[in-house]
Amino acid sequence: MPTDIMDREFVHSGHVGCAGCGATIAMRFVLKALGEKTIMVLPACCWSVITGPYPLSALKIPVIHAAFETGGATASGVRAALDMKGDTETTVLTWAGDGGTFDIGFQALSGAVERNENFLYVCYDNEAYMNTGIQRSSSTPYGAWTTTTTGQDWKRLRKKNIVEVLVAHRIPYVATASIAFPDDLLRKAQKAKETKGSKFLHIYASCPTGWRIPSEMSVKIARMAVQTNIFPLYEVEDGRWYTINYKPKEYLVREYFKLQGRFKHLTDQDLDQIQQMVNEDWELLLHKAGDRI
Amino acid sequence: MKRVLEGSHAVAEAVRLAKVQVISAYPITPQTHIVEILSEYCTKGMMKAKFLRVESEHSCMAALIGAQSAGVRTFTATSGQGLTLMHELLHWASGARLPIVMAEVNRALAPGWNIWVDQTDSLAQRDTGWIQIYCEDGQEVLDSTLQAFRLAEAVNLPVMIILDAFYLSHTYEPVEVPDQEEVDQFLPPFAPKFQLDTAHPCGFGPLVTPNDYMEMRYHIAMAMEEALGRFDEIEAAFAAQFNRRYGPVEAIDCEDADIVFITTGTVTSTCRLVLQDLRARGEKVGILKLRLFRPFPAEQIRKKLKSAKKVAVVDRNFSFGASGIFAQEVRAALCNVPDHPTIFGFVAGIGGRDVTPELLEMIYWQTKTSDVPQKESVWMGLREVKNAD
Amino acid sequence: MNEAENPNPLFMPLTYLTTESNKTGSWRFLRPRYDEKTSPCSATCPAGEDIARIEMLATQGLFKEAWETILWENPFPSVCGRVCFHPCEGQCNRREFDTAVAIHSLERFLADTAIRYGIKPDMKKMSSQKQKVAVIGAGPAGLSAAWFLSMLGYTCHVFEASEEAGGVLRWGIPLYRLPLNSLRHDIQQIEALGVTIYTGKPVSPDVLEIMKKDYDAVFIACGHGRGMSMNVPGEDLKDVSEGLDFLRKLREGKTPPCPGVSAIIGGGNTAIDVARSVVRLGGKALLLYRRRRQDMPALEVEVEMALEEGVQLQELVAPAAVAREGDQIVLTLQEMKIAGEEGGRARVVPDEGKTRKARIDRIFKAIGAQADEPLYQPPAGASGLLSLSHTVLVRGNHGPVMVFGGDLTNETKSVVHAVASGKQAAMALDTLFQEGLEAIVPKLEACRVGEGSSLSMEIYMGAERRLRNPHVVRYEEINTDYFRFIPRVIQPRLLTEERVQSFEEIDLKISANLAMRESERCFNCGLCNQCDNCFIFCPDISVIRDKDHQARHINYDYCKGCGLCVVECPRNAMSLGEEKS
Repeated sequence: MPTDIMDREFVHSGHVGCAGCGATIAMRFVLKALGEKTIMVLPACCWSVITGPYPLSALKIPVIHAAFETGGATASGVRAALDMKGDTETTVLTWAGDGGTFDIGFQALSGAVERNENFLYVCYDNEAYMNTGIQRSSSTPYGAWTTTTTGQDWKRLRKKNIVEVLVAHRIPYVATASIAFPDDLLRKAQKAKETKGSKFLHIYASCPTGWRIPSEMSVKIARMAVQTNIFPLYEVEDGRWYTINYKPKEYLVREYFKLQGRFKHLTDQDLDQIQQMVNEDWELLLHKAGDRI
Repeated sequence: MKRVLEGSHAVAEAVRLAKVQVISAYPITPQTHIVEILSEYCTKGMMKAKFLRVESEHSCMAALIGAQSAGVRTFTATSGQGLTLMHELLHWASGARLPIVMAEVNRALAPGWNIWVDQTDSLAQRDTGWIQIYCEDGQEVLDSTLQAFRLAEAVNLPVMIILDAFYLSHTYEPVEVPDQEEVDQFLPPFAPKFQLDTAHPCGFGPLVTPNDYMEMRYHIAMAMEEALGRFDEIEAAFAAQFNRRYGPVEAIDCEDADIVFITTGTVTSTCRLVLQDLRARGEKVGILKLRLFRPFPAEQIRKKLKSAKKVAVVDRNFSFGASGIFAQEVRAALCNVPDHPTIFGFVAGIGGRDVTPELLEMIYWQTKTSDVPQKESVWMGLREVKNAD
Repeated sequence: MNEAENPNPLFMPLTYLTTESNKTGSWRFLRPRYDEKTSPCSATCPAGEDIARIEMLATQGLFKEAWETILWENPFPSVCGRVCFHPCEGQCNRREFDTAVAIHSLERFLADTAIRYGIKPDMKKMSSQKQKVAVIGAGPAGLSAAWFLSMLGYTCHVFEASEEAGGVLRWGIPLYRLPLNSLRHDIQQIEALGVTIYTGKPVSPDVLEIMKKDYDAVFIACGHGRGMSMNVPGEDLKDVSEGLDFLRKLREGKTPPCPGVSAIIGGGNTAIDVARSVVRLGGKALLLYRRRRQDMPALEVEVEMALEEGVQLQELVAPAAVAREGDQIVLTLQEMKIAGEEGGRARVVPDEGKTRKARIDRIFKAIGAQADEPLYQPPAGASGLLSLSHTVLVRGNHGPVMVFGGDLTNETKSVVHAVASGKQAAMALDTLFQEGLEAIVPKLEACRVGEGSSLSMEIYMGAERRLRNPHVVRYEEINTDYFRFIPRVIQPRLLTEERVQSFEEIDLKISANLAMRESERCFNCGLCNQCDNCFIFCPDISVIRDKDHQARHINYDYCKGCGLCVVECPRNAMSLGEEKS
């Protein structure tokens, strides 16, 4: 990786992301790693709006906005066309939110990676339909308030494990990343760029507006998610080889939850239960990585 | 070279000759023969193209939108449920000004499952900004498909080539298949007016406020209008090379006809027989075959129906709560013409039911013996069912 | 929006401009800014050394620049890096994370590196002034005053009674703590700046009167040359001598014999110095202190090493009487008991009736010192007297200004406090000459480092340090997510067996590698060390790199005031304030 990779910029100022937007930080990092020979497929999500209205664009690379559910399919088409034109160098990047990945875009994603299309799919995860006003998605974590899971109806279903879904498709490379760990994220994006076939990055991108946190806490919360094992950093190659990238400090999950307004209704009992669930998942992951017999 | 081909194969030949570069396809009866042949051509190297075996029709169109935006010629085929599943993206393709060409095999919509011919599926897409051409036979299908690429790329609007399920898609006929060199002369390689290009980055399809959106849509409307003229130009060029021409409409014996049938697709072929028969018996009857449906050739229709007293529109489709769709469109074209012919609408052949010469003759006699239409559209050939009118 | 700029032939949703025309700075209600603050170590250092910056430069391998940063505030890095009691480490924020940074060792490393490579410092000097200043006493206070006055452009003559300059540094502290060439290097450096030192020139009251005609100011920093009395019977016996005299003789190259047992009364560094020197001369040392070991003012590490070297310690005893008994001395000791605590130290009173006797061969007193001559004391209650934290300034109706400093005026008698005194004297004199007496207090006030009495010459001379926010950074303000636990470097030393053989320096060198690893542990509290976190995390690409001092600035056209830069700055070098509309 060239040492000045952090210096190059592919996002313009003046975009309309919220103050402290984690998705914007994620975009900056990924594009730094991928470079200028990148074409982005952008299904409906916050970034569809962040790029700015016609005739403005906040991105220095070509972007094709796509219908909500078509992230995987549109990218397949772009890739096919580029290959026909003899361009095998340009990276095709789908940049989708959790809604367009876990829910409505699930089919197209599964179809595209089943065909092992040569593209990189990045899901930046702010854990709800933020662009339309904080509605619940299957990526919303257990315990969260959203505008469609209010009061006592807070989400009592676990977050869908999209990474394991992609692992099951046995694609060459799947990884999680967090905006609080830029070096790790850049390395993974770079690695994805150099791998042929389907690649998937699941990036944790804090949302101050939707999570009810102060804008200056975006990175801190993202760091805590990793440190509490709620969002472990790991990679899976060829659907089989797990590598855990960060053995965290194992903070208690309540430290993470109590900082966010979207979790303020949780009781100590709820938090204990969640701690158990997180511990369980972490043990399972360690097992897959060969750290447990 | 003359070959005996299925309608689907005729489509495939045209796609091969047009040197399409990216094809995406999802199987649905009765489109499958089109894509199977194309898949084989790609594998055997007879076509230099990427064939994407997508996982739904919606993804099919999405992939083509992506591919065409990246600057290559694309094609797909679908039918019935598949077409309706694509609906969102049909609007997208035209809004994005992409010259995608698609073969659409008219098929009835579920429930219940019905794989036979019905035009409701393609007509339900009439607002999507796609150019629509309804074909009668195999030759017309091949020729129209070739012309479709040139037309689409001229006005930057997508084009649908429509053929009846089974009656056309699976019927073998002699078809003249042109040589590659001849086609190359008629249809040059795709020269995109815009494309995704890392050397000139921009955003395709961003947020557009009320400030600009209306003008963009107006430009699509203008492109559709321009398509009328281009259609004629392209047909003329085609005729000059291949000596075949079809027109946006085809008027058969309309100059002195009192009653004119308006038909589309294979029903036209049956109607031609009925016409011969009726004329032999001294009836002043004509046929106006509707071929180009979008843009709607209103001027041509008004011209050809100048002297008609009555018009019998045969719709193999229906817009619930209104009437047969072709009938509606024709009424709209004629409503401001003083002394325009009375328009009788008839619905026949829904869900693949046979449209026989007898049925067409019944339509003729009903039209002739009625002064005014009883209803917007009369459903023909219905069986007795409980609670039916 | 000028449609003419649109390169597309069709009017369709295709962009052709960037969002840079959208100045999102208008969204802001909080405004971040670069705001370097004060580190607790530098605020605690009596010389106000810019420690956070020193460590930052060392980490970057800029040893010369780091060393020069010390010299701005303290001309004795070789000395202080060896003998300073390093109060800085006691306030180091890192101690709350794992362990304090080894600032003391690092200072020594930087000084030694400069010596090793013969580096000459590039010091900023003001243009020459007409005034001349005489300094009496070439100890740390006097020499520091001369150094700083020279920086400020004044001609300085230093008068030293002994044959060589250095004061207690030359004639008091033993070689195993402060080797001669280390001291000589720092002194030569002071001379190289333009200071003239006259050795062998004691200044009696008559000489002083003559000098007053030639100089615009006289800085008296003779120190405390005379020991304090124990006020016990038998004190005047010849076997009872001053610890400081013993050390002086050693430094003069005479080896005063001390076979048998030498009792040393006292608990300060001088007492320890004497005890450990006795051991090295082959004698036995018995250290007698009136309070507990933890109350001893000497450096803890010195006490520890003394005990390792075989010095005996008796706590809670005070001398009551001295008598001769044949060849030996009998020292009657009064046992003390603890009567309470004040300021963390025990308050002791005699344990009535409990005494014991010690049979020794001689007694060394190390219970404190005072000025040799009365003229060396600042006059009390004179008019025109200005008492500052480390100096006293007396301005009469005629004649030069008299300034008293060093041990004569300092509450805490240490090398670094002497340096502070010299600096304060230089600043006070310069302000007096340029602006007048009334300007001294406010001008010096403006040069404070943090909230204490430490002053910075760098600030005084108008360099960038003056822009620092005086707020002292607390541990809670450090973002510790960016630091890992790293053990503190261990200062290598001679083994105990090796130590007692000679007066060789005990502390050994550390490598540049180890030094940099240690300096990297420094949080650089309040200082920007160019880690680039602000640049990395800004969602609006509003941190722009440039070639200015800060190497970056905030583009307020676009900054939305999210505050991420401020929170992710590991060292609180930024601040968030209200956006004024």
